[in-house]
Amino acid sequence: MATRSGLEKHYPEVFEKFEFVTVFDLLIKYIKEGRIKLDKTRFKGPVTYHDPCNYGRKAQKMFGHGYFDEPRWILSQCVENWIDLYPSKMNQICCGGGGGTLVNSYNEERIYYGRRKMDQIKATGAGMLVVPCHSCHGQFNSIKKTYGREDLEVKYLWELVADCMIV
Amino acid sequence: MAARDIIHMNELDHTRFKSWGFSQDFCVTCGLCSSSCPATGIDGFDPRKLIRMLSLGLENEVVASRWPWICTLCAKCENVCPMEIDIADAVRRVRSLRDRDKVPGIIHKGLEAALETGNNLRLPKDDYVFILEDVAEEIAEEPGYEGFTVPIDKKGANILTTIHNKLVNTHTEDLKHWWRIFHAAKEDWTVPSENWEGTNWAYFTGDDEAMKIMTGRIVDHMHKLEVKTLMWPE
Repeated sequence: MATRSGLEKHYPEVFEKFEFVTVFDLLIKYIKEGRIKLDKTRFKGPVTYHDPCNYGRKAQKMFGHGYFDEPRWILSQCVENWIDLYPSKMNQICCGGGGGTLVNSYNEERIYYGRRKMDQIKATGAGMLVVPCHSCHGQFNSIKKTYGREDLEVKYLWELVADCMIV
Repeated sequence: MAARDIIHMNELDHTRFKSWGFSQDFCVTCGLCSSSCPATGIDGFDPRKLIRMLSLGLENEVVASRWPWICTLCAKCENVCPMEIDIADAVRRVRSLRDRDKVPGIIHKGLEAALETGNNLRLPKDDYVFILEDVAEEIAEEPGYEGFTVPIDKKGANILTTIHNKLVNTHTEDLKHWWRIFHAAKEDWTVPSENWEGTNWAYFTGDDEAMKIMTGRIVDHMHKLEVKTLMWPE
């Protein structure tokens, strides 16, 4: 999102010369074109999914499209049994690791911030949490022990896809 | 929070942030932002108070405060704001007013490293290339990935990727997921040998000039490597 807003502001001419693709659209393209084949039986679930602020709520506001449906479609190609967090999409609760908080040294505040997020995850009964964001991924692995969920497996969306690939 | 208990009326300056286009003066103090914010209550923070400080021109207090750095810029607040105030952008702008040597943690230091060396870690090019090739060799040993190599600086590739610095630091295993997918999908892709940083911490520190430099490097790669498509850095 930082790159896209930076290019739109400072280098708008690149949008005429080059193409741009999100991680979601690229994965969907590979799956729909049959370039990768996925085995849905590898992970039994239940699995849940977290919308990062930058791909969801903020992309909706800045670019007129939040990536909510795309990751859920990809998830449905990888696992049968997944359940949404509540609330989700535009009302998703931030993981607490965004905006540079993972690297600004306010660790106590950041971990406390994640308490509601962890309640939300616990309520689904999921053993695996899928995220498409490096900051969210780092935050969840950093806070899960504090909230008694050391067993929670945190996976990148593209990691899940790679793990389900038949090669 | 550095704010004092008593603020004298003659210290207020409504014009101080008048030029900022975040509509902060339209705040009706309804408190929906504070109710929706996951950080409300942490160290006395809530977004409504921060917006009021801007509207009242309490510059020293708001800039010295820890609040703009406790906020994750998640924008739940502005999603519910009836006056459509750009609260997260306003917080980011407040961050930009901090002296750079007082930006907390390593965000500014990482950004400085990126501006000087092309990546937040100051990782030398030889070490970086060694790590990428080492990980590629590990993949090539897996069944189904025989012959896998990492196409560094490949001219004319379809897709240009960047690297999140933690993937060549403590999380090299996480380089492999996308690389496996590219291999299986027979994608024609590349990754730059220099200025490869995929994060842009200038977004976090409020530094627009640095943001322009960091994104400009990606534009340079697209031109020099003659790629067709940029995969947005995550």
